[in-house]
Amino acid sequence: MGDCRLQAFERELLTLLPRLRRFARSLARDAADADDLCQAALERALKAREQWQPGTRLDAWMYRIIRNSWIDEIRARTRRGQTFLAEEAGACVGAESDADTWMELHDVDRAMAEIPAEQREVIALVLVEGLAYREAAEILEIPIGTLTSRLTRGRQALARRLEAA
Amino acid sequence: MIDEEKLMAFADGELHGAERAAVEQALETDAALRGRLEAQRRLRATLSGHYGPVAGEEVPERLLALLGAAKPENVPSLSAARERRKPIRRPAWRNLGAIAATLAVGIVAGQLVPSSAPIGVEDGRLVAQGELAAALETQLASAQTPETATRIGITFADRQGRACRTFDAAAASGLACREDGTWSVLMTGPGRNAAATEYRQAGSPLVLQAAQEMMAGEPLDAAGERAAIDAGWKISGSTD
Repeated sequence: MGDCRLQAFERELLTLLPRLRRFARSLARDAADADDLCQAALERALKAREQWQPGTRLDAWMYRIIRNSWIDEIRARTRRGQTFLAEEAGACVGAESDADTWMELHDVDRAMAEIPAEQREVIALVLVEGLAYREAAEILEIPIGTLTSRLTRGRQALARRLEAA
Repeated sequence: MIDEEKLMAFADGELHGAERAAVEQALETDAALRGRLEAQRRLRATLSGHYGPVAGEEVPERLLALLGAAKPENVPSLSAARERRKPIRRPAWRNLGAIAATLAVGIVAGQLVPSSAPIGVEDGRLVAQGELAAALETQLASAQTPETATRIGITFADRQGRACRTFDAAAASGLACREDGTWSVLMTGPGRNAAATEYRQAGSPLVLQAAQEMMAGEPLDAAGERAAIDAGWKISGSTD
């Protein structure tokens, strides 16, 4: 595949890529944002590759990088005064198309976008990526009890929104 | 009384031993609790159904290129990509879902040499053998304990009338359907012992999603499973 022989690290990232894109999509809601997020996270991972210890789970390491990259992106947007679709409708230049985008979002994307980020990331890791509670808690660096309470609240909030949709 | 958090842990396969048994017992007599469990499972299925397909999409060239799997000159920088949101051209081979599937087969094929391997090749098909074949053929999902080596997830009839089951074993997880007396393995993923990807449940989202797409009607319940096993897996027509 391709002209050059891939190194083991890249090759393993390549096999993880479908899952990483899925995780990014569940955080970022929008396909273009999600791939930007993946790209930023991959760039970060390639730069920091010495920090990853072979033999430990690369997927967990990548999930953490993606999640932290997303937090950074949100902070940067907030600093730039770029807020999110829901609040933005009617407020700034380009709001019209964003409001349209918001309306066109799939129910699930919209429901995920409406719940708090700390619940969304837990839902994404456990219910979409299929990780065990302990694994998800390690990635997010939170105690199991915190994880389960966020998961319970996130599930209830999602269920309410999806039933209303 | 089973609270929401405990029920959720049960639905997510996080309860074991006595705690698990207590919830199972409560479920037998409490229809409202069964309804709540069903709602939990529906939510998981909704999310898997929505996000699962993303993992099967073609991966954009610019991501492949970062990993040396595409020609660098085709790759816009992140800022350039933000400027131009147009679809990126891609050569036909770059369907990473397909690559991942090939790799999964390759990994499994690499384990084929010992006859104790769970999956072998027959007439170009991947076929379950040994302990995996025995579990697929005879194991009741309802009679499993957390210590069961090869766990069966769901059992269902697909649209071609084949009996299919999801499984989760030490070396591999996946989905198999019964054809001509053997279990064809249609989909494999990492098993429980895979260091890099420790999915514990046979219902890992992609396998579960594939199962949902193939399924004709509902998955078999415990009685249906037992009847299918007793009937030598002749279950076609059972879904009409």
